[in-house]
Amino acid sequence: MYGIFMEIWVILKLYAGTGFFVGLFLAALIYLAICEKEMHKKILLVFVPAVLFVIFMLPISRIVFVAVMDDGETYYRILWMIPMGVVIAYATCKLFAEYRRVGLIISTIVVIASGSLVYNSSNVTKAENAYHLPQTAIDIVDSIYPEGSTGKERVAFPASLVHYVRQYNTNILMPYGREMVVTQWYYYNAVYEAMEKAETISCEDLLTATRETKCKYIVLHETRAIDGDLTEYGLKLVDTIDGYQIFYDSSVEY
Amino acid sequence: MIVLSALSLILWLILVPFCMGLLICRILPPSRQTVGITFLVGYLLSFAVFEVISIPCMISIQYGAFSTCCTIFAVVSILIAVAGLVVNVLHTIKELKSVAYGNIQESFLDGAKEVALIIFPGELRAGAEDMMNPRRDIAGMKKSFSKEDLLYWFLFIGLVVFQLFMAVTRASFDGDDAYYVTESLLAQQQDVMNTVLPYTGTSTSLDIRHALAVFTMWIAFIAKMSGIHATIMSHTIIPVVLISLTYVIYLEIGRILLHRRQEFLPIFMIIMALIQMFGNVSIYTTETFFLTRTWQGKSMTGNFVMPMIIWLMLWIAEDEIGKLSQKRATPWILLALTTMSSGIFSSMGAILGTALLCLISLALLIYTRHWKLIFKTFLVCIPSGVYVLLYLFLRI
Repeated sequence: MYGIFMEIWVILKLYAGTGFFVGLFLAALIYLAICEKEMHKKILLVFVPAVLFVIFMLPISRIVFVAVMDDGETYYRILWMIPMGVVIAYATCKLFAEYRRVGLIISTIVVIASGSLVYNSSNVTKAENAYHLPQTAIDIVDSIYPEGSTGKERVAFPASLVHYVRQYNTNILMPYGREMVVTQWYYYNAVYEAMEKAETISCEDLLTATRETKCKYIVLHETRAIDGDLTEYGLKLVDTIDGYQIFYDSSVEY
Repeated sequence: MIVLSALSLILWLILVPFCMGLLICRILPPSRQTVGITFLVGYLLSFAVFEVISIPCMISIQYGAFSTCCTIFAVVSILIAVAGLVVNVLHTIKELKSVAYGNIQESFLDGAKEVALIIFPGELRAGAEDMMNPRRDIAGMKKSFSKEDLLYWFLFIGLVVFQLFMAVTRASFDGDDAYYVTESLLAQQQDVMNTVLPYTGTSTSLDIRHALAVFTMWIAFIAKMSGIHATIMSHTIIPVVLISLTYVIYLEIGRILLHRRQEFLPIFMIIMALIQMFGNVSIYTTETFFLTRTWQGKSMTGNFVMPMIIWLMLWIAEDEIGKLSQKRATPWILLALTTMSSGIFSSMGAILGTALLCLISLALLIYTRHWKLIFKTFLVCIPSGVYVLLYLFLRI
């Protein structure tokens, strides 16, 4: 039980980040517990969040959650049931009931200082197009599957592009996709082994794998270490886009 | 082509949900018959109807499941929307004929305003309620409820517009998109519903854990109808709608919480908007999901379903406990729609939403001893109960 409790503690710490925000919520919760007189608000904003927080911290809850959901990684979502933002915002309005301007200035400063601007996240970048996908991935797919094409093409892409390709065109099939990039989902895949796991790509190993899985195209970045030239094995370099070389393998037939 | 797509978007993202909401709007108390709530309940109804239609299509149709689903859903949505429109036109005509609205208006604008207030009397709510409060100094209130309030509202609207601008112009990388967004695109391009593995394109059996959460298919429906690529729809267009809808829910929560202090509503909303923007303290918070993964069902669980339940339960709690005790069926009907549509976003959403609803009901029951709460809660939990049973049945 202690081990599970510590797991929950770690989940809470990961959720809370710096902890300021959760701290702010707990302070608001205590303030409302003392000062809120209207019972319907007290039940929704104090009692229920407090009970949910206790439920979240109980090892038995995690055991039940994992049994029901078959997934322990999403346990933090129990915290989504707690309206932390609403509790903080309402407590602030109540606390500064007589000093609206001062209250707004102080709360703005506190929220900005204790939080982290979502747009500063390393995952957020300026969109290159309306798809919100890297333009390179789109250009490569357009080169392989120009407008008006029919049927499907199987293409071996490097791991850096697998997330985007099929978000743009589902007529492109792949021997492996995002599931190989996520460590815990990893399974043996010959093309992935040859393309990504090997420090230096072996042309023979790669072509054996791609031909077995019927990949008509192979996309490789020109900086990727490889022990030979794929064109010498009968492949044709059809295009190079932003450093990614697109090879066509005419020996593969569907 | 662009004009047609834009018109189609207006039809399916604005007109149809709005008219669907008009049907529900008439059962709301006058103070809650507002434009925002009409949109909100319209979307709620749209999600609920889509779930009922799409899941049987997905399970029972092998080829062309998505096209069939789209056809049925489009017809049903249009029928409901037309019904909503007709009900409101009849209501307006009836009201205009009555004594209160019988006078001929001086100008077209006054007439239009009068008609709008007949359909949405709730738009006058804050002003009227404040005026009726005997504890308020009306002269002082008029003075304070002026330029400063307008400034606060502009500040809030500015923050929301900034968030919408960033949603359109900023791309956020998330690996899960390779699954969810591709599912939408597969439906649009290949006419399948969760029977192709998004990552590689190979055929697969229904992945029940994700398949019942048909929000990806709802997005694909809008994409198909407008002819816009499902990825553009997910990443660029849908967030604009969903972010706006979420703030309507917070506005309604604020209206209940700040019942007698409506002048604090813009402050409440500004703080809420700031919390959404600065709540990125980790990758797990609802705030992070809200602005970086808006289009994903799991984000909607945390940012649409949970606030909806909080709003409706606050409304119910106010009815059960408040001084103006008026027990209405309306919030319970909306709750039933919420639990019904929660499954569209994620299987976990259906379970967690129901759990939250039951916990709040239990707390209210302990405090009020209103035993009917048990029966009402049981009734509104039936849709999610059916969903969970179906989930378990298909999983075995």
